[in-house]
This record gives sequence, C-alpha cells and structure tokens, in this order.
Amino acid sequence: MVERLSLRLRILLFFAALAVGAVAALGLGLWFAVQRAADPALRDTLVPVVVQGVIIAAFMIVALVVWVWYLFDTNVARAIDRLARAIRARTHAEIDRDLTREAEGARYLGDLAPAAQEVTRSLAQTRNALAESVARETTRLAAEKARLETLLADVPVGVLLCTAEHQLVFYNGQAVDLLGSGQAPGLDRNLLDYLREGPVRHAYQRLFDAGDADMASDLLCATANGARIFAGRMRVLRRREAGGAPGYVLTLRDVTQDLAAHASRDALLAEIFERVRRPAANLQTVIGVLSELPDRPGGKPDLSAAMLDEVQALTRAITDLGARYDAIQTDWRPLVQTRSTDLMDSLKARFGAEGLSLNVTDGPALIVQVDGFEIVALLGWLAGRLATEGLAQGFEIALIEEDGPGAVLRLEWVGTALPVGRLDQWLTEQLGPDTGELTARAVLQTHGTEIWPEKTEPGCGAVAMPIRAARRAGRRPPPIARAVVYDFELLSKARNAAVADARLEDLTYVVFDTETTGLSPASDSIVQIAAVRLVNGRRLESEVFDTLVDPGRAIPPLSTDVHGITDSMVRGAPRIEAVGAQFHRFAQGAVLVAHNAPFDMEFLRRNEAGIGARFDNPVLDTVLLSAVVFGQLEEHSLDALTARLGITIPEEARHTAIGDTIATADAFLKLVPMLKARGLNTFGEVLSEVRRHGRLLKDINAPETKDTSRG
Amino acid sequence: MNADTPDRKRILVVEDEDNIAIALDYLMTREGYEQHRIASGAGAVDLIRKMRPDLVLLDVMLPEVSGYEICQNVRMDPELEGVKILMMTARGSAMERRKGLAMGADGFISKPFELKALRAEVRRILSGEPAPEAKAGPGTARHG
Repeated sequence: MVERLSLRLRILLFFAALAVGAVAALGLGLWFAVQRAADPALRDTLVPVVVQGVIIAAFMIVALVVWVWYLFDTNVARAIDRLARAIRARTHAEIDRDLTREAEGARYLGDLAPAAQEVTRSLAQTRNALAESVARETTRLAAEKARLETLLADVPVGVLLCTAEHQLVFYNGQAVDLLGSGQAPGLDRNLLDYLREGPVRHAYQRLFDAGDADMASDLLCATANGARIFAGRMRVLRRREAGGAPGYVLTLRDVTQDLAAHASRDALLAEIFERVRRPAANLQTVIGVLSELPDRPGGKPDLSAAMLDEVQALTRAITDLGARYDAIQTDWRPLVQTRSTDLMDSLKARFGAEGLSLNVTDGPALIVQVDGFEIVALLGWLAGRLATEGLAQGFEIALIEEDGPGAVLRLEWVGTALPVGRLDQWLTEQLGPDTGELTARAVLQTHGTEIWPEKTEPGCGAVAMPIRAARRAGRRPPPIARAVVYDFELLSKARNAAVADARLEDLTYVVFDTETTGLSPASDSIVQIAAVRLVNGRRLESEVFDTLVDPGRAIPPLSTDVHGITDSMVRGAPRIEAVGAQFHRFAQGAVLVAHNAPFDMEFLRRNEAGIGARFDNPVLDTVLLSAVVFGQLEEHSLDALTARLGITIPEEARHTAIGDTIATADAFLKLVPMLKARGLNTFGEVLSEVRRHGRLLKDINAPETKDTSRG
Repeated sequence: MNADTPDRKRILVVEDEDNIAIALDYLMTREGYEQHRIASGAGAVDLIRKMRPDLVLLDVMLPEVSGYEICQNVRMDPELEGVKILMMTARGSAMERRKGLAMGADGFISKPFELKALRAEVRRILSGEPAPEAKAGPGTARHG
C-alpha cells in the first residue's frame, strides 16, 4: 500500500508522524512528571502551566518539523524524483543530453547526482559505441537494400505485398500511381479499400487451396470506384513456420486503355459488318432480279437507280470505316512517348555498331510516339542494306517537325538514289537475327506509316518516313521520386480484436494537428490539417497528410500571427467537408494522437455532419501521456515535452501544422517505451492510467473503447 | 482508238482488274477522252514513252512492278515531264496517299470511288490545277 504512494508523499507522512510523535512524547513525559509530584496542591498549580508549555513546545516542534520537511522535500525528495525521471528518460527514450540541470537541483544528495551522471554518461557512451558499430555493420546492408529498393521502385508495374488479411506490407511508386486516385495507399491499410474484393479474394482462395508456392494466378480487377481496370498476377508467399495464413504478392498493370482500345476495335468491326451487310444483301437481290428480266414478259422495271443507291451506300460505308480504322489503328499498338534526342542517340549507337557513320541534323526537341526499338532496328537494317549494296556511305538523319500532329524522319546518304520498287521489295525482308521474324513492313504497320525515297541532289539518296504523333518537348520534367514503402514485420504482427487488449507497439497511430481561425470550436473553423501515420513503431515519411482548408471566412490577424496562414493561402483550398472526409479515410483504423487532443477533436467532431463520417477512433493525448511519465508538476507544452525528450523542431517548422505534428509524433514514439517501462503495455492499461491523470480524456474516448482494428 | 484526232486528250489506264478497266474505258470514252489500257505494270513505262499520254490512271497494286515504281520511273524521265499521273488504290490510307504524291503523282484516289469524284479529279489534273495540300493527319487525307 505504502509502496504505491509517491516518494514525496511518503516523506511528508514520515515528517507528520515525527511531529505528532514528538508532541505526544513531550506531553506524555510532562504528564508523568506532574503525576509524580507528591503534593496534590502543587500538582493542581502545575497542570495549567505544563499544558501551556506543552502547547507552545508543540507549536515549536511542528514548526521545526515543517521547516525540516520543507528543506527535505525541496532538496531531497523532489530532487530524487526529478533525478529518477531523468534517468528513466535516458534509459528508455534514449536521450543523450547530460544530467547537469538535474544534478544542479540535487546538490544536497551527496554523491548521488554525480554518480547518476556518471552512470548515464557511461550508458550514453556505451549506447553510442554500440550504435556506431551497429551503424557500420548496417551501412553495407543498407547499401544493398537501397539497390534492391531502387530496382523494385523502377519495375514498370505496381507491386504490392499483403498479409492474408489483405493488409499492405509493401508497395512501390507505380502502385501509388495506380491506386492513388484521390487517396494514396498506406502501410497496414487494407488492399480491399482500393480494389474490388471479389477477384482478389477468389484468386487468393484459389492459390491458398492449391497450396503450391510456385503457382501464380492471373486476375482482372477494378478499382473500388470502377474507374480503372488492372491485369494482375498473384503469388502466395511460402507458408511461415509459425503457422497462420501466408501473405501474397500482387503485381498490377493498368489495362483500362487496352480494354478501351479493344472495345473501340470491336465496335468498329461490328459496325463494318452492320453497314456492309445490308447494301451487299440488297445488291444481290437487285442483281438477281435483273438476271431474270429477259424471261419476264411485259415492262422492264428500271433497277439501275436501286443498284446505284446500294453501291453508293457500300462505298460510303467502306470509305468512312476505312478512314476511322486508319485514324485509330495506332491506338492498339504499344507505342511509347520517346524523346527525339534519345531516339537519335540510339540510332547513332546502332549505326556505330554496324560500322556506319551517322550525322544527326539539329532540329527542335520533339516527343514522338514510337516503338523506339523497332524504329532503330528498321533504320539500322535499311542503312546496312544500302551500304552492303554499295548504294550509300555516310548517313545523315533529321527529324522534321510538321504543321499537324506529326513529324518526318528523313534519312539521307551520299551515294545512289534508291528506286521505290527496290525499297518496297526490301521491306518484306526480316530485319535481322535480333528481332526474330519482324519485317520492315510490320514495323511500318505498327506505326501506321509508310516509307519512300525522296528527291535529293544528284549523288545523294534519301528516304522519308512520317511519324504520326509528335509534339514539341517541354523542359524535361524533374525525375519522379520513386520509392518503395514497406515493413515486413507487419507480416508477423499479432492482431488483437479489441484495441484495449492490443499492445501499444501493435497499434497504428495517426498523429495530427489542426490550425484554426481561433480558440473557440463553437465559432471558429479549421484552416489546416496535418497528420502522419505511425506503423509498427515507425513514422512513415511517405504517408503524410497536409492540407489547407478554406474556412469560408476571414482569418483574424491574431491567428495568422500564430500559424502564418493568411486568407490568400486558403483561397481555392477545399472546404472542411472534403478535407475532413479525406482525413477520415487517412485515419481509418488508427488511434488518433494529438497534443491537447480535446481541442482538435472538438473542431473535427463539430464538422462530422458535413463530412458525413464519425471520428470514433480511440484517442490519446500527449499532454496526458507526458503527465503520466513526467508527473503533474512538470510543464507539458509541446516545446517543453520535446525539449525534455531531446527532440529538436527546426525553426522553420515550429508552429506549422506539419512541424508540430512531426514533433508530436516523435515525442509519442519516445513516450511509448517509457510507458512500457512503467508496466503500461496495452492501450487499455495506458487509458486507465491516463484517466487517473486527467479528466479530459473521458470526454474524448467514448464510454466504451471502440474496436477499430481489423480482425 | 482515235489517235488521229489531235485535240482529244489521251488517257492510259494501267489496271490489272478487267471489270474496272472495262468500266473506266466506257467512262473515259464517253467523257471524250482517247482511252488505252495495259493490264501489267511490266511494260507500262515503255508504253508511256511510246504513246505519251496526257494522263496515266495508275493502279498501285499491280503484278510484277508496282504503281509507285512506274510513277517514279516516269518522273525520273525528263522527256515524260508533261505526263500527268492519277494513282488509284484499294487500300488508300493517308500514308499511302503521301507516298504516291511523294513519288510524283498529280492526284491520288481511293477505291471504291464515286464516278463523279473520278471525273472531277481527271478534269482537275488535265487542266493543270495543283493537288490539294497533302498532310499526314490521320484520316484526313482522303480523296474521292
């Protein structure tokens, strides 16, 4: 019982007992002395004098004890308390700052503070030495890991790795592009939030039932909103020793456009039959009738008008459909936007490999839609053929921009002009051993184009080949930051049905901060929401929510002074209804964490009706967690907390929503091991301890703890 | 053949398909032209040199020698400068048309064509008007 009381309280009780004991002993001693007086008259005279003396002495004793207690409390009990917390912080939260400040307050504790200082210094040194050697060892592994990450990030398909429950464990940049319309995927989120679940579940079940780790299953699946269609391939991971259903790898390729091209091709084909069949059938009937005419006595009907009508319908159909076929045929080919400089560079390399010289004429930088490999193979082969036949020596190539959407590739050479008949004959040949059975004619068909000899100066020859789609190249866009995001430990993470029973490190957290037009949730509005996700004890750099909100009213200058957000910054930003819904999706399934959470939660909850969703996530407040760990007497502002935990907020990020959010998140990550050191391991344990410390949280977390984890 | 009538324009049809050749023969004669025909591409250039037609109605897809080749050979012969060429093709994509015009054809017409369009094109070429702008825009360059 006594052990549960704090040190200071115990010392207070000890001194109180001392005072009471001393006064009682004094009273008792004098009472005995008076009793022993032989003369009763003397005894009666002495009693009031003694009582008076005892009262005065008692006051003096109590005053003395209180004074000693005060000195003891200030210089011993509080100093020990502060020192103990500081040691704990250094032990569990890995803070390296020296104990000098705490030692200053503990100067009456003899050698304790210097000894503690030595211990923590030695701990920090050992930790640093260990960290250094670990860092050295991991550098090599990290380099290898980075190479693999780059490799996976550049795979041209979306790659996802999921647990058996479809929680994301790994995804690459292409997967973000594919799934990220409106909401980017996040670690530990459910894949079925992004894809329609039927095909994914069925493919998994097929593979799971087959039990063959080498087997893969192809599937066609659409995004949840049906806007995009992917061709996918799923492979189940090898079953883990520990048991449990294995996860799977899913690769996705966007086939929306392919399917649309197929559909338009099918539609055109259907229309050809539809429009040709009718006039052809009519024509057959009319001609049939005409052939029988000589046998018919009497008048001869004039069927030539009817025949002409049908033939004209046929002609129009074929001309019109032919033009449409011509227009869309390159849509079906896998042509790629290629920079003219890259194409020319490849051509130079190819000509060089064939032992031919190629001069590239300067022209505007264009982006052409071609299969670069095929075009290079075609022109390289043609030049080789010309050289072998002795028709050409030095080559020059130019890409000439046209007025319309196209361009012309013109290959010129010194030597003899090429007759078109000979060129056409060559075009039926195969391009070479590297390209299999690919012929020059096939390349031209793929690109919907032709090639022909052009007129030149005497002693020269040239061919021209139009490229159907070409446009001026803008500035080369900055390289897209491709990254892979993963945490393979999620594969083996235990999932508790109830949040209350979940271990702190197993939960997913969304740490957030709002900036507002003022302090009153009733009359003020949100102007910015920033949030980060913490998964498996790690802040995910790539999963950040940071959005300005148009409050629909002027921002008071006093508020602008605090957060720096002005009216012009929020002009054109989305309203809270849209941002709130996005944030709700971002925070789905996570515990919400904020510094002074009731303030931010109240602002969110007042907008629930407009957002169309309820923020019923469990909530933790870092103010209260700080009170649990560091005691009520310390200051719990974000600045004080981060300073205590050795976290530095960059000056430019201070008091911005995202800067404060990141600081809060990092503080929270350091508080978790300190909570665990106090025996608070599960969310439920933390919650009941927090409730002892603050009346606030009762308002935030609904009466019973919500179950938000996925089963 | 009415070779002795000096003011009649002379047209040579190079076409291997008999049905269309018969129809063209009828049509051109009725239009008042003097009409000749050769079914193969092989002797076409020699015949053109010999008879110096005002216009050659030239099919692209011919056995042995293609229409493009005949066109190029005619254009390479300075003596045949005044011979106009109207190419005909059953495929008739915009790119084929550009190729035909690049080979020196004065016009390009896709089969099937309407007689009205063919008549207009023949008249245009014989009167010496230039061909309309030949561009590679998908599906735009179509004649007839």
